[in-house]
Amino acid sequence: MKPGTRLKSAACDTEVMVIRAAEGQIECGGAPMGEAKPAEAAPLAADFSAGTLMGKRYVDAAGQYELLCVKPGKGSLSVDGQALVVKDAKPLPASD
Amino acid sequence: MPADRTPPAPAIPLARWADRQLQAMTTWHGLPRLDGATLMGERGANGGYTITGTTSAGLGGSRLMPARDGEWFALTLIREVDRELLPALFGDAAIDTGDWEAIAAAVLRHDARDLVQTGRTLGLPVARVDETPASPAIDVMLRGERRDRPEGHRPLVVDLSAIWAGPLSGHLFWQAGMEVLKVESLTRPDLIRRDDPETFDRINQGKASLLVDFTDDAQKVALMALIRRADIVIEASRPRALRHLGIDAGALMRETPGLVWLSITGHGASGDPADWVGIGNDCGVAGGLTRAMADAGGGIGYVGDAIADPLTGIVAAREGLSALRSGVAQQIGLSMSAICAMALAEERAHDRAMIDAELCAWGQAIGAPFPTVSPRALTAPVRPIGADTAHYLNAFARC
Repeated sequence: MKPGTRLKSAACDTEVMVIRAAEGQIECGGAPMGEAKPAEAAPLAADFSAGTLMGKRYVDAAGQYELLCVKPGKGSLSVDGQALVVKDAKPLPASD
Repeated sequence: MPADRTPPAPAIPLARWADRQLQAMTTWHGLPRLDGATLMGERGANGGYTITGTTSAGLGGSRLMPARDGEWFALTLIREVDRELLPALFGDAAIDTGDWEAIAAAVLRHDARDLVQTGRTLGLPVARVDETPASPAIDVMLRGERRDRPEGHRPLVVDLSAIWAGPLSGHLFWQAGMEVLKVESLTRPDLIRRDDPETFDRINQGKASLLVDFTDDAQKVALMALIRRADIVIEASRPRALRHLGIDAGALMRETPGLVWLSITGHGASGDPADWVGIGNDCGVAGGLTRAMADAGGGIGYVGDAIADPLTGIVAAREGLSALRSGVAQQIGLSMSAICAMALAEERAHDRAMIDAELCAWGQAIGAPFPTVSPRALTAPVRPIGADTAHYLNAFARC
């Protein structure tokens, strides 16, 4: 998946921008995400319904995936069924 | 160029505009007379900065680069973590994110407009030379109830901001005789204290220092109690970040008659621009200063040193003092890029030939040192970080 690609959730309003990704399946609300929204919405899986927060960056434990939430929704993000977690806020810039 | 042939330092453009704002604050609000060129130039003078054109002065963290469409694109990379976002900005997983030459080559493969749009989505400080600020310079976003302050009341200022613009406004409130509390987050302290103590000390002298753990509910409750006692709050966070910290400006405004809440942002505190990141140099570009310099014959480059910061600090203080005098609670959004555009427009109306001559001279002075300013002596102690946390938070936790 190319960095900068925007992906949409099939199960909720979530949209993300790919910062970093490998070959796995990126999902939201338990359903695969795609560049286009499917005609029919996928059901929101109970295990992946904690919601996404605008502007938060989501990562996997191995650091292979990083997704930026650009539109929040009810689903939560995962890759091949493994939930992603929120990355810590960036430090303040020191100076420019 | 041999060292003994260094060209003379030109004046920082818009310093005269800044000075007129300070003069007015002395006249109307009793602020001690401070010099505009000093406030705008003391960081560059203290740091021995030189004028470097398309690279920002000082650390050189901001660069102006030509894009595919011929427009110039500004990118500030002063946090290493922001470089992780460059593959997404350029749609290129292989880009060498540590190499400005590779970054400049990638900029040339894209249109400036697209890079700015994607960059802002990613939370990168970006701008283009021909954009128009998206928000008003000064935006009264909320009004609340009025509070009449007794004669001789010493206003309390809670300064949650960092870096330069917000702390400078807090400094001006301190100069005006107010009690100013500088509040820093345990996990995200103001790094200027460490990286540029000369500047930090000048604009934070005399303030009490509080260090707050925003994950600790008791400390947060005490901080909210402190804010309800305050006359002025200064913050320079994106509204979203403030909400994530659990600070609800709207609710605090409704509960606190007369509270003046200054929201300093790169490009505006409401709507989509509230999510954009802006820092002093790129905000100057977004405010049209680079375009104005090029049009005046000075070529493409940065004007001044993080120029949006001192201009915004001065405007925030001016607006805060007026609002406080009115007694009416209000949240005022201050957009750094739009403040640059406003200052430029006002200065052009005041003396078009003079500002054009200054911009031209600045642009042509690459390699020259920043103008010297007489160093301001410290007149009050700089409190160690967190030295006053217990005193203020414990006092208010019991209320």
